Amino acid sequence: MNSAPNQAIIQVQDVHKHFGSVHALRGVTARVDKGEVLVIIGPSGCGKSTLLRSINGLEYIDSGRILVDNNTIDAKHQNINAVRAEVGMVFQQFNLFPHLTVLENLTMAQIQVRKRAKAESIDIAHDLLKKVRIPEKINMYPGQLSGGQQQRVAIARALAMNPKVMLFDEPTSALDPEMINEVLDVMLDLARDGMTMLVVSHEMGFARNAASRVIFMDAGSIVAEGTPQDMFDNPTNDRMKQFLSKILH
Amino acid sequence: MTVNTETPQSAQVKFVDRLAQLPWWFILILLLSVILAYQFASNETYQQLFRRILNGVLVTLSITAVAYSMAIFIGLCAGLGRISKNIFIFNLATLYVQIVRGIPMLVQIFYWAFVIFPLAITFFNWVGGAMTPFLGADNALAKIKPSDINLYWAVVLALAFAYGGYEAETFRAGIESIGKGQMEAARSLGMSYFQAMRYIILPQAIRRVLPPLSNDLISMLKDSSLASVLGVRDITQEARLYASTTFRYIEAYNSLAFIYLILTLSLSLVTRWIETRWKQL
Repeated sequence: MNSAPNQAIIQVQDVHKHFGSVHALRGVTARVDKGEVLVIIGPSGCGKSTLLRSINGLEYIDSGRILVDNNTIDAKHQNINAVRAEVGMVFQQFNLFPHLTVLENLTMAQIQVRKRAKAESIDIAHDLLKKVRIPEKINMYPGQLSGGQQQRVAIARALAMNPKVMLFDEPTSALDPEMINEVLDVMLDLARDGMTMLVVSHEMGFARNAASRVIFMDAGSIVAEGTPQDMFDNPTNDRMKQFLSKILH
Repeated sequence: MTVNTETPQSAQVKFVDRLAQLPWWFILILLLSVILAYQFASNETYQQLFRRILNGVLVTLSITAVAYSMAIFIGLCAGLGRISKNIFIFNLATLYVQIVRGIPMLVQIFYWAFVIFPLAITFFNWVGGAMTPFLGADNALAKIKPSDINLYWAVVLALAFAYGGYEAETFRAGIESIGKGQMEAARSLGMSYFQAMRYIILPQAIRRVLPPLSNDLISMLKDSSLASVLGVRDITQEARLYASTTFRYIEAYNSLAFIYLILTLSLSLVTRWIETRWKQL
């Protein structure tokens, strides 16, 4: 996964974002190359989710620029649908569509947005459900699935759009402990297949196994950045050390 | 031992419990309808009355059906306007809802019949007058008279716009009750705002607001009786006419009330059936 040519797929340039009087992103600059798996960690409220949500336009940035595969998002928020078509998003709360079956959850956007034929979209849905290891749930409703299964369907739903980048916003934080691994395994598979991924997560095991780089954010800025080994085993930054001591017990 | 002494008691308690759970109100209505059905069959006054009132049933039902369909459409548009981020659309929708909810139904019916319709006629006549060089002096627009317009439509429009205001708030509340994550998930898949509304938000919201929507349908059926103040021959007007010519007030209003009850109760059975079928998720 590190052999991919160094071609930037996401470039974040001096992005600022305010929520009322809170300065959530203070001039964030970052770059993600094709095939990279970037894990973003940091204390609650540090802006890591906001950064992720800005990249597919769920939050409007105040200033700066985000380039996603040569489409620009700026404060004017043009091109946003072109960007979203290339970026898949997985949410903490899954956000599956409860009135649709698993199959319909996977085919809806393929048919409405990608304008695929129904039969083709169903074939794709079948393949993806096999990939996330729950082909047997295809005709169930989200309410009938466990949290881990729902999150895997949500991953498949995002993949069905053939995104170039996948964003994961704390994908395992709402799960019972015994279900976390089934979701992380699917994400590891994706990383091995060469998918470019941005993951906001505190799963250190996943970061060690899959991340090509780890970014530590605090108070709206990127404070430290490096390989998982450097970041976790020899942290140089004081705030990073403090943070690690809290989450690693 | 204790079982022996308690069994008859608990059976008695069970029996009383079961009696208490019976829908006595419904049984009473059934009883009443049997009595009235007997009256209709045996009493000539009631037979006449019943036939007269039945003439109006179609009018009552069609006012309700047409006005309700319009109200749902208006309410959906205004409800979407009420959650719009566009200041102009939001204020327009809010203005409409506030005006319509603050004026009594009866006054709105008068307003449509005696203010909006005459103004519209004057306007069209003026347009027709201005178009004389093109359409000739006696073109259709210039010759609209108040008698050309059926007051049935004043009632339908008044009900449609008044209830549209209530439905707007119902739809708004329903849409707002769907978590923000649903819209975000739909948008993150590349769906437009309207695709997300049409395929993701509204199907869920409408399921949630079905009970208030069916309540309003029944309310509207009852409010359609106000048509009688304009002389539109719905069941209320038929009963009034019969009573005033025969002085059979007791029989007339007995039958009228009973027919409304039958209509509203059967309507609520239908809506409850639809609700349970839709609720499954």
